[in-house]
Amino acid sequence: MKKVIGICNLHDDPHLGLLTESRPCGAVTFLGRYGLIDFTLSNFSNSGIEKVYVLVKSGILQMRNHIGNGSIWTNNTKTGFIKLLINEKGLFSPKFNTDIANIKLNLPIDEIDFECAVIAPSFMLTSIDYGPIIKSHIESKADITVVYSHLASTDAEYINCDRLKINKDNKISKIDTNFGKTSEADISLESFVITKKALKKLIADSAKVSEMFNLRQMISYYVNEDILDIRAYQFEGYVVPMLDFDHYVKNSFELLNYESRRQLFLEDWPIYTTTHNTPPTLYGKTAEVKNSFIANGSVIKGKVENSIISREVLVEKGAEIKNCIIFTKSEIGKDVKMEYVVTDKKVKINTTKELNGSVEKMLYIHQGAKI
Amino acid sequence: MQNKVIAMILAGGKGTRLESLTKKTAKPAVSFAAKYRIIDFPLSNCANSGINVVGVLIQYESTELDSYIGNGEKWGLNGVHCIMSTLAPRQTEQGANWYKGTADAIAQNIDFLDNNNPKYVVILSGDHIYKTTYNEMINLHEKSKADATISVIEVDPKEASRFGIMAVDKNDVITEFQEKPKVPKSNLASMGVYVFTWEVLRKYLIEDMAKTDSDHDFGKNIIPTMLNDGRKLQAYRFKGYWRDVGTLASLHEANMDIALDKLELNLYDQDASNRIYTQDTSGLPQYVGKNGSITRSIATQGAVILGHVDSSVISSGVVIEGGAEIKRCVIMENAKIRRGAVIHNAIIAPEVEIKENEKINVDGEEVVLVDNGWGNK
Repeated sequence: MKKVIGICNLHDDPHLGLLTESRPCGAVTFLGRYGLIDFTLSNFSNSGIEKVYVLVKSGILQMRNHIGNGSIWTNNTKTGFIKLLINEKGLFSPKFNTDIANIKLNLPIDEIDFECAVIAPSFMLTSIDYGPIIKSHIESKADITVVYSHLASTDAEYINCDRLKINKDNKISKIDTNFGKTSEADISLESFVITKKALKKLIADSAKVSEMFNLRQMISYYVNEDILDIRAYQFEGYVVPMLDFDHYVKNSFELLNYESRRQLFLEDWPIYTTTHNTPPTLYGKTAEVKNSFIANGSVIKGKVENSIISREVLVEKGAEIKNCIIFTKSEIGKDVKMEYVVTDKKVKINTTKELNGSVEKMLYIHQGAKI
Repeated sequence: MQNKVIAMILAGGKGTRLESLTKKTAKPAVSFAAKYRIIDFPLSNCANSGINVVGVLIQYESTELDSYIGNGEKWGLNGVHCIMSTLAPRQTEQGANWYKGTADAIAQNIDFLDNNNPKYVVILSGDHIYKTTYNEMINLHEKSKADATISVIEVDPKEASRFGIMAVDKNDVITEFQEKPKVPKSNLASMGVYVFTWEVLRKYLIEDMAKTDSDHDFGKNIIPTMLNDGRKLQAYRFKGYWRDVGTLASLHEANMDIALDKLELNLYDQDASNRIYTQDTSGLPQYVGKNGSITRSIATQGAVILGHVDSSVISSGVVIEGGAEIKRCVIMENAKIRRGAVIHNAIIAPEVEIKENEKINVDGEEVVLVDNGWGNK
């Protein structure tokens, strides 16, 4: 894939409640050891897309800490790279801090040798091979290909996501918003393949259409105004959308089920993440673990059920954790009983012996809290 | 520019007592404590000691070990002042010679050492399990102006006759060396970890190379010769956990030491820059199923535990199916234990599949190795 670049677009990322208060969506811990951005970066890597740009809206420090020098996802570290791009002035005027403004400032399209770019967000978790999609895009001679999924339950799910109306030849005739009027719909995965020429035109046109428009909005504009040749490509794999905090919680617990897990994590499609040199997890004599993920570096001496435990978490003897998500380096002290709780990183729970949320409303404990 | 210290790790030997585990791979490449390989320990120790130049002597079935070591990145030994070299025997104008002994291996690499011009050389074994830094030992060597410093560990006086024993004076200067003595004069056993002043060692290596009646071994030849010549040999008393995992029984026991959390070898250091480093694997965090259980054990990512595991070591990619019972076992990478199997006190080699309901060594006292032909390919 020498002539394809990858663009991981973090500008459109949703808020995941208090989880994204102190970090961007891409850096949120997932399933105990991943960051949400790992899926997109791994998809690029496994698809052979070696030159990757990450459009950061804010929180560049956290993204840098998570991604490091990107060598985990890069094959040849001389010819491949992951570059973080941010529009610092944009931080002062959020409405103008768009992905387009970021590209205009930081991505010299004319100077980069590429045929087309794959643009993907971090919040639609999939294991997707861009190879066939790029091939289809080139063969169809389209200017832009929008990747979508035909989804069910769209009357309750995927609300406010972009909905596609597709004609014969896979041409998109309309892009509008899903307000839940239908029980099935073609929902955009916010992933696009775009030719260099079309990308240049889009960037130039955005100044004439609206400086506040982002990539997604420009593409919708083009479709609805019948400008450019824009096609659709159906992705038939498993999609895990992280649209808000509730989705984050629900989807995390859903992946405790083998059936769901084996559809997202494919055998020949590794999802890479940063190593923290953690030792293997130690289970004590009194450990009782059921239906849970436990990441390395943890020491488990208590009860853990239906939960997700991140790296270097200590669960003391007598502690009982049910239906919880515990982030890195937290400590759950002796005899603490908790249910339906999400703890951020480095939370120490010792004195308060009982914490209960509910399945509808998880109790969230902020980073570093001592309870 | 002189790099003050170079570490040379001896990883060339054939580990015959590990049977099929080392049939197709060198002993230092064997899996340990769920996510490590044995050689991660001496290499991480070098990294944590700030030693930048490391040579690893390889010979027997060295392919996997060589690839694993690579450019040293796994242990951070690929930095700006670092040199990470695997040193296999090579042809020279003098001919082509396999390494004939530990001292010969170093002697054949005098060029490598001369090119990097160290003041001191640390000689390590590639198959010891311990976590330490060598700075204290090197400082003692320097301060005491010794020609060689030998790391010693206190052993049970009843066991002393199994080791190379060092008798010392009140300043811990070595007065006598006894190889597996019937009447040991001390309980300080040599660990095979040495610090030499390079200038001095170089002389003795060259002399030893010329001898036809020598085993070209540090413990058997170089050290006794230096002692007889009146050289100053200093003992460094090592404190902490240390194991030579050369036999199936000792490999199993050392794994159990970690799993049963005897707290002797602290892998759970809060300081992330003082750990044992290893190759990272991609994979989900370990998953324990609805009807599974795991106690008194260690496990690493990629493991799926649906059965019952006690007092065991579960490596990456291992699947323990429902109803299986694992007790006091070391299960190496990607092994699959099918439903209802019962295994006690065993080492299961990598990739092995144990069939449904198979019973292995139930209530057995001695450790067995199950390899199902793995290692014989």
